[in-house]
Amino acid sequence: MSRLDLLEIRELRKSFGGIVAVDQLGLVVGAGELVGLIGPNGSGKTTLLNVITGYYPPEHGTVQLHGREIGGRSPHQIFRAGIVRMFQHVKIFRRLTASENLEVAGRAAGLPAGSSRQRAASLLDRLGLASHTHDEVGGLSGGQQKLVEFGSCFMSEPKLVVLDEPFAAIHPTVKQTMVDVIVERHTAGQAFLVVSHDIPAIMRLCPRTVCMNAGTVIADGPTEAVMADHAVVEAYLGGHVAR
Amino acid sequence: MLVFEIVFTGLLMGIFYALMALGLTLIFGILKIVNFAHGELFMLGAYAYAVLVLRAGMAAVPALLSAVLLGALAGVVVERLLLRPLYTGQVGAGPLRDEYAIIVTFGLSLFLINLVHQLMGPYPLKGPDLTATSRIEVFGMFVSPHRLLASALGALTLGAVIWIIRGTVWGKRVQAVAQNRFGAAIVGIDHTRVSTLVLAMSGGIVALSGALLAPLFHAYPDVGAFPAVKSFVVVVLGGMGSIAGSIVGGLLLGVLENFGAIYLSYEYRDTFGFVILMLVLLLRPHGLFGERTREV
Amino acid sequence: MRRLALSPTDFVLSFGVLIGLGLAPLGVRSEYWLGILITAVYFAMLAVSWNLLAGIAGLFSMAPAAFAMVGAYTTGLLHHHGGFGPLVGIPAAVVVSALIGFALGRVTLRLRGAYLALTTLAFAEILRLVIANSIEITRGDLGLSVSGILGGAKIPTLYLFLGVLVAYQLVLVWLLRTRAGLYFRAIRDDELGAMGRGVDVVRYKTLAFTVSSAGCGLAGALFVHFLQLASPEMGLILQTGLVISMVVIGGMGTATGPLVGAVLVEVTSEALRAVGVRHMLVFALVVILIGRFFRDGLVGLVARLARGPLPAAAPPAALEEGAARR
Repeated sequence: MSRLDLLEIRELRKSFGGIVAVDQLGLVVGAGELVGLIGPNGSGKTTLLNVITGYYPPEHGTVQLHGREIGGRSPHQIFRAGIVRMFQHVKIFRRLTASENLEVAGRAAGLPAGSSRQRAASLLDRLGLASHTHDEVGGLSGGQQKLVEFGSCFMSEPKLVVLDEPFAAIHPTVKQTMVDVIVERHTAGQAFLVVSHDIPAIMRLCPRTVCMNAGTVIADGPTEAVMADHAVVEAYLGGHVAR
Repeated sequence: MLVFEIVFTGLLMGIFYALMALGLTLIFGILKIVNFAHGELFMLGAYAYAVLVLRAGMAAVPALLSAVLLGALAGVVVERLLLRPLYTGQVGAGPLRDEYAIIVTFGLSLFLINLVHQLMGPYPLKGPDLTATSRIEVFGMFVSPHRLLASALGALTLGAVIWIIRGTVWGKRVQAVAQNRFGAAIVGIDHTRVSTLVLAMSGGIVALSGALLAPLFHAYPDVGAFPAVKSFVVVVLGGMGSIAGSIVGGLLLGVLENFGAIYLSYEYRDTFGFVILMLVLLLRPHGLFGERTREV
Repeated sequence: MRRLALSPTDFVLSFGVLIGLGLAPLGVRSEYWLGILITAVYFAMLAVSWNLLAGIAGLFSMAPAAFAMVGAYTTGLLHHHGGFGPLVGIPAAVVVSALIGFALGRVTLRLRGAYLALTTLAFAEILRLVIANSIEITRGDLGLSVSGILGGAKIPTLYLFLGVLVAYQLVLVWLLRTRAGLYFRAIRDDELGAMGRGVDVVRYKTLAFTVSSAGCGLAGALFVHFLQLASPEMGLILQTGLVISMVVIGGMGTATGPLVGAVLVEVTSEALRAVGVRHMLVFALVVILIGRFFRDGLVGLVARLARGPLPAAAPPAALEEGAARR
C-alpha cells in the first residue's frame, strides 16, 4: 500500500438477509483524488457508502483510512477520522438555522463556537446562502437545503468527502455552485468520491471513475476509458452512455 | 385437563386481543402511526352498548350493531379532523410527523377519557350478557355462554376483515395505499377515501370488542387502557402493519397471559403485557413478523 | 424569518416569568393559593425537565411522572425505613433517578417516535404497579408519610421551590449554549444525519435522559416533602399527561413554554375545579387544538402575533415520497 493511499477497501462483503449487496469489492482512493462512482440502480453504491461511513458494519473485508481500520466504527467516529458525506435524500436539521446546521459539524470537529460560526458564515456566503444564515432550513427550497448539507461537509477539513447523488433533482445554478466548489477544493488538495447517475457531470469533473455492478467493481480507471468499457455499457443495459 | 382449559380460555380472550391489534395495525399500515387513542374507541364501544341496553332499553343485538356503527363513525371523524394532515404534508416528515401523531392521539385519548368521566361519572356500568344462561358445560369445563358467543362473534369478525383485506378489490386498494400512498394515488386510487374507510373499519371492530367485553370488563372511563396496551404488545410482537402477526400475536398473548396469571402471579397479570412489550421493543424493535425499512 | 424558540428573547422571557412568580406572594395571601403556586412550581420543574428530553432532544418519553415518583419514594423509603431526613433523602433521590434514567436511556437507544413513547409508557406503568403492589415495603396505595420541610410554612417553601426552578432554568440555558444544545436539536431533527456530522448520538441521548430524569426525581422528592405523603398516584400516566399538556400548551421546545404552561394549566385547573368541570377535559382539548393548529404553543402564538401578520411558512409538500421513509 502506497504512502499516498487515503482510503483502501479490500474484499468487502455486505449482505442483508439473503441479498448480497456488496461482494468481493476492492477500491483505493488516493490522497487528493477526485473519483467518480457509477453503476446502475441496485449495484450496491449506496450500501458501499453506508459501510464506508459507518452506518453498516462490513461482514467481511477491510476498510482502512491511512492504514487504520475504520470498518465497523460508528458514523461519528468516522466523521472525526476524516470522512464526511452527503446523503441521497437530503439530511438536514430542519428546525435549525443554516448557520447552526453547519455549526453542528464544526463543533463536532472540535472548532470552538466563535470559529465555527465564522467558518459557517463564510461557507454560506460562498454558496450564495448568506441571506439565509439565520433562517430555519425547513423553510428553504430543496436546492438550498442540499447546498446547506453540502456546505456542512467542509466545516471539518475532511480527508475525504463522499457525495451521494449530489446533482440529483436540483436546479442547474445550484449544481453549478456545487461543481465550482468541488473543483476549487479539489485544486486545493481535497479528495472526493462522487456517486452519481449524471454521466456527463462525472465525465467533466472526475479524472478517474469506478463502475460497480451487482455489488462489485467491474471497471476502474481513467474516466473516458471506463465510459467506453464494454462491460460498463452493458451493465447500464443498452449503453445510453453518451459522449 | 387444566392446561387445556388455560389454553382454551386464553384463546377466547386472545381473539379480542387479535381484533384490537388488527384495528391498530390497520391504522398503522395506512398512516404509519401508532394510535394512542386506541383504547378509547374500545371504551366508547363498551359505553355505547351498556348505555343503549341499560338506559335506552334496546335489545342486545341492535345495541351491539349501534356500538359498531358508533365506533366506525368515531374513526371517520378522527381521520377527517385529526389524522388527515399526516398525509397531506401539512405536518412535515419524520420526527415532526411522529411528534404530531403522538401529541394529537394522546391528547385525544385524555380528552375522551375525561369527557366520558364528565358525562357519565366514574362508576362502572355493567353491560348485560348476550344470553340469559350463566354457565354451560363445554369440553368438560364450565364457561359462560356469553364469553363463547362473544368470542365466536369476534372470530367471525376477524375472518370477515381478513377476507375483505385479502380477498376483495377494495382490500387490494388498502394494501396498495399501505405500501405506497403516492404510488396508489398515481394509479388512480382514492387514497383519502381508503384512509377514511380503514379508520371506520378499525373503529368499528375495536368498538365491537369493547361492546362484547362490556359484560366482563364493565364500562368505565379507563377501561380501554389495558386492552390498548395489550394491543400495542401484540402489534409490536407481531410486527406493525402485519395482519398475520396481529392475529397470531393476539392469540398467543391471550394464552401466555393466562398461564402467567395461574402459574406466576394473578395480581401482576396485567403487568405481563407491559413487560413483554418492553422486552420485545428492546430486543427486537422490528417485531417478529414486521418489515425492516432502509433508513439511510 | 428569525425564530423565537431558544433565542435570547426566549431566555429573557422565561426569566421574566420566574421573576413574576417570585413576586406573586406580594399579591397572593391565601394559604390555599400559595399551595397552588407551589404545586405549579413542582409541575414547572417536571415540565422543564421533560421539555429538555422531548422538546429539545426529540425523545418523547412518557415517564416524567414515573421519575418524580421514583424520587419521591427514594426519599420516602429512606425516611420510613431508615429515619433519614430530607438532607439525605433529596440528594439520594437525584442520584437514584439519574441512574435509572441513564439505564433507560441506554436501553432505548435504538427506539424512536412512537416506539420510544410506548416503551417508556410500559416502563412507567411497570414502576408504578411494582410500587403500588409492594405493600410490605411501600404501603402501596396507603402511601408513605414523609417528614416536612421548613416547618410547612408556605411562603418559604414557595421560595425554596422557586430557587430550585431558577437553578433548573439556569442549567438549561447553560446547557443549551454549549455544544450539547446544538447536538440535542440535531438529534431531534435527524438522528442519522447527526451521526454523520460527528455527533456522538449515544452519549447525548443518554445525557438527555439522565439530566431529565434527575430533574424529575428532584422535583418529586421536594414535592413529597411538601405534601408529607408519597403515593403511587404521583406516577400515574394521567400525571404525565398533565406535564405533556403543560409543555405542549406553553410551547414545546422553547425555554419559556414549560414555565408558562405549568403555571397557566395549574391555575386554570383550580378555576375549572370550582366550576365542576374536569380540568383534563379542557386541557386535552386545548392540546389537540394546539397540536393541530398552533404547533408552537402559546409562546409561539404570541411570538407570531408580535411579529405582525406574515405570510405562512414554506408550502406543504404533499405526499413527498422521499420524505416518507418509515
